[in-house]
Amino acid sequence: MKKEPVAEILKANPWFASLSSPHFEKMVEIATEMSWPAGQIIFREGQQGNYMYLIIEGQVALDIYAPNRGRLTILTLGPNEVFGWSAVVPYTQMRTAAARTIKPTRAIALDSAALRAACKADHELGYLVYRRLTNIIAGRLTATRLQLLDVYGDGTGD
Amino acid sequence: MYAPQTTTMAPEPMMPFPALITDIKEEAPGVTTYALEFEDTAVRQSFTFQPGQFNMLYLPGIGEAAISISSDPGQPETLLHTIRVAGNVTQAIARLDVGDVIGLRGPYGSAWPLAHARGLDIIMVAGGIGLPPLRPAIYHIIHHRQEYGQVTVLVGAREPADLMFPGEYDAWREQGIEVLPTVDRADDSWEGRVGVVPMLFYSLRPDPRKTMIFTCGPEIMMRFVVYEALARRVPKERIYLSLERNMKCAIGFCGHCQFGPTFLCKEGPVLSYNQIEPFFSVEEF
Amino acid sequence: MTPHIPPLNAHVVIDKPALQTLFDALQTAGYTLIGPTIREEAIVYDEIGRIEELPIGWTDEQGPGHYRLHERGDGRYFAYVVGPHSWKKYLYPARLTLFRTRRQDKSFTVETGEEPPPKYAFIGARGCELAAIAVQDRVFLEGPIQAATYKARREHAFLLAVNCTEPGETCFCVSMNSGPRCESGFDLALTELDDVFLLQVGSQIGAEMLAGSGWRPAGAFELSHARRLLAEAETQMGRTLETRDLPNLLYDNLDHPRWDEVAERCLSCMNCTMVCPTCFCADITDVSDLSGENTARVRVWDSCFNPDFSYVHGGNLRPSIRARYRQWLTHKLASWIDQFGTSGCVGCGRCITWCPVGIDLTEEVAAIRGEG
Ligand SMILES: Cc1cc2nc3c(=O)[nH]c(=O)nc-3n(C[C@H](O)[C@H](O)[C@H](O)COP(=O)(O)OP(=O)(O)OC[C@H]3O[C@@H](n4cnc5c(N)ncnc54)[C@H](O)[C@@H]3O)c2cc1C
Ligand code: SF4
Ligand code: SF4
Repeated sequence: MKKEPVAEILKANPWFASLSSPHFEKMVEIATEMSWPAGQIIFREGQQGNYMYLIIEGQVALDIYAPNRGRLTILTLGPNEVFGWSAVVPYTQMRTAAARTIKPTRAIALDSAALRAACKADHELGYLVYRRLTNIIAGRLTATRLQLLDVYGDGTGD
Repeated sequence: MYAPQTTTMAPEPMMPFPALITDIKEEAPGVTTYALEFEDTAVRQSFTFQPGQFNMLYLPGIGEAAISISSDPGQPETLLHTIRVAGNVTQAIARLDVGDVIGLRGPYGSAWPLAHARGLDIIMVAGGIGLPPLRPAIYHIIHHRQEYGQVTVLVGAREPADLMFPGEYDAWREQGIEVLPTVDRADDSWEGRVGVVPMLFYSLRPDPRKTMIFTCGPEIMMRFVVYEALARRVPKERIYLSLERNMKCAIGFCGHCQFGPTFLCKEGPVLSYNQIEPFFSVEEF
Repeated sequence: MTPHIPPLNAHVVIDKPALQTLFDALQTAGYTLIGPTIREEAIVYDEIGRIEELPIGWTDEQGPGHYRLHERGDGRYFAYVVGPHSWKKYLYPARLTLFRTRRQDKSFTVETGEEPPPKYAFIGARGCELAAIAVQDRVFLEGPIQAATYKARREHAFLLAVNCTEPGETCFCVSMNSGPRCESGFDLALTELDDVFLLQVGSQIGAEMLAGSGWRPAGAFELSHARRLLAEAETQMGRTLETRDLPNLLYDNLDHPRWDEVAERCLSCMNCTMVCPTCFCADITDVSDLSGENTARVRVWDSCFNPDFSYVHGGNLRPSIRARYRQWLTHKLASWIDQFGTSGCVGCGRCITWCPVGIDLTEEVAAIRGEG
């Protein structure tokens, strides 16, 4: 996997690219590139969250361990998708699922404490960040509802 | 004055033609593909269809069901129908063997707008038994690959075992079609994606100026596909859906398949979102 | 000798009893006559041969959920409006075999369902009924595929139409632009005057059927009398329906509370769709003999009020009566226009009269318009 400066990678993402340059600089400051081979646990459920991640390439599974049922994958995510947002939301700083790579994966990790601090210090940035987060969470919520509906069944319960 | 008492009558348009089952293939639990050939040579040779169209399959004494054609439009003499067991007719079909005969008439309905899509990127979104009606379009694109831009097929199913045609995905990929299967549930032996199909839009970056969407699957799934597509500024007239309603005659006479002003058997089943928008989210419509 | 027949479009008069010569001519020409006659306290359409079988001297009193026959004590032949039957009973029978199959080893053969139908002469079709036939023509003949069984019946049908001079309490053909005068689509159109029938010749065959009737050209007095009766009839409609921008009114109000109100009264009994002369929805089912060797594929009238009408595996898409009534009314008055370029309602009033709880579509539309 090739190494690019973090700023280059973020420029390629429409949301980061849309930020004003002071805001963009701030993001570059708190961003680190990380990569994992396939099959690696990135974090476990219940851990304190330090980062929120934007996938550049690869694939990540979010798992919940259920007693008697083992590890259940509830969602997988690919390029341009965000995971680990719970680390930025004050209410759920604890990881609510485990993250595991399915393919070799490269991501941008944003330091969640630094991100929260930056948002607190600059409410305009805070607005943009939390607006983005709301969109991500809303999408996730919709998806969860659909999954609950079991849309592929025909409603007859079999 | 010579006075005939009666009239003359043209053949009944709902009469089926006997067709032989030449092959049967189990696709997934409760879903089977049947290869059918019209017994009558002239009928067999004159039959052509467009991707997205359907036939009426008839079993004397049991009834008729609308089933999409799932095979290659370039080979219309052998028709494939991929059928999920639901009620009376589909259960009876499931009891048939190679060499049995079924009634067949068609093709009916509208087609995926493949001519319209020339030069554009296509995202197909299929859920469950929604992939078979899209497969003829995939074959068409493979035969005319250079006429289309990026082609992505998003396939959703409840579990990995429920995916339609998984053995063909690599062949499609070799033809430059991106295939992304996703399931609602899986254990960790599954290496593909988990999550509902509309979520896959999050990892795509469709260019709204040149993207066309074809979707077929459960209506709720299609509703969310539409929402995701609209959120990405894909224009309504380039989002196509294949809808399903009760269907008895397939020729616009029985009234059952009406969806507002459209008869799904005639103007549908494939319709663009702007044709159905006012009614698409009305409850019990 | 060439028979003495009137020219096309001519207006002629015949003595009332001479109507029998017309019936006779039609029968000689091979027609089966269907006309109004009294059965079980209603004026229905059935096979007739003689003018005495017409409801001479009778009239009908109609209202929402109300129908009763009265003797008038005069000799009028056509002084009533439409009853529970319509010509759709003959052109589009309630039950009809489309084709039959016979099992042969593993395969089967397919045969025609029924013998070609008789040639029908319809006696006494009103303006709204001609309009209804024209509507069904669009459905069954003017699309990409023609309904063979309908075509065979329709193509040779003879229409003796009758202009309505005494509209009923549930009639609103003026609103729907379908009556009371028969404008087109007839072989002969009759206006009943005091002593004679005035007939307008609409086709060559219509003219020929008058050969033995002793007709004479209509005089100015007869013509103006008929004109006056029809002009008066136009002002005597029992109901009106404001059709201005009707499709959009309904499409824009799919969630109007009125649908809930009407659903509380509607029994979903399907009467309205059965009596409606344009409703065409049908179910198609198989009927097998005991051996299972022979099967008939049978078409029967269906109704959007039937809960199973919208069945797809797993459930009905319109479980509530609200949704079913809304489907019916929006189809009749809105989507029909998109589908066939004409309203699905001709203003005959049957659905009002024969609704057991007296639901009146003109009232429902007015309520949605905010004029209730
Ligand atoms: C355009 C179109 C294409 C279709 N393509 C396929 C396909 O490729 N593969 C497949 O497995 N299924 C397909 N279906 C669904 C299929 O028609 C129904 O599953 C089938 O009619 C059920 O019939 P049944 O007798 O087994 O079920 P029952 O539950 O016994 O149904 C009784 C009757 O209700 C009607 N009905 C029930 N469900 C449906 C439905 N979902 N859609 C329309 N009418 C229904 C039919 O008239 C049927 O005869 C399609 C439907 C439509 C409208
Ligand atoms: S809707 Fe009612 S009034 Fe209109 S044509 Fe039908 S039965 Fe007659
Ligand atoms: S409107 Fe009247 S006639 Fe029609 S289904 Fe309802 S109760 Fe029956």
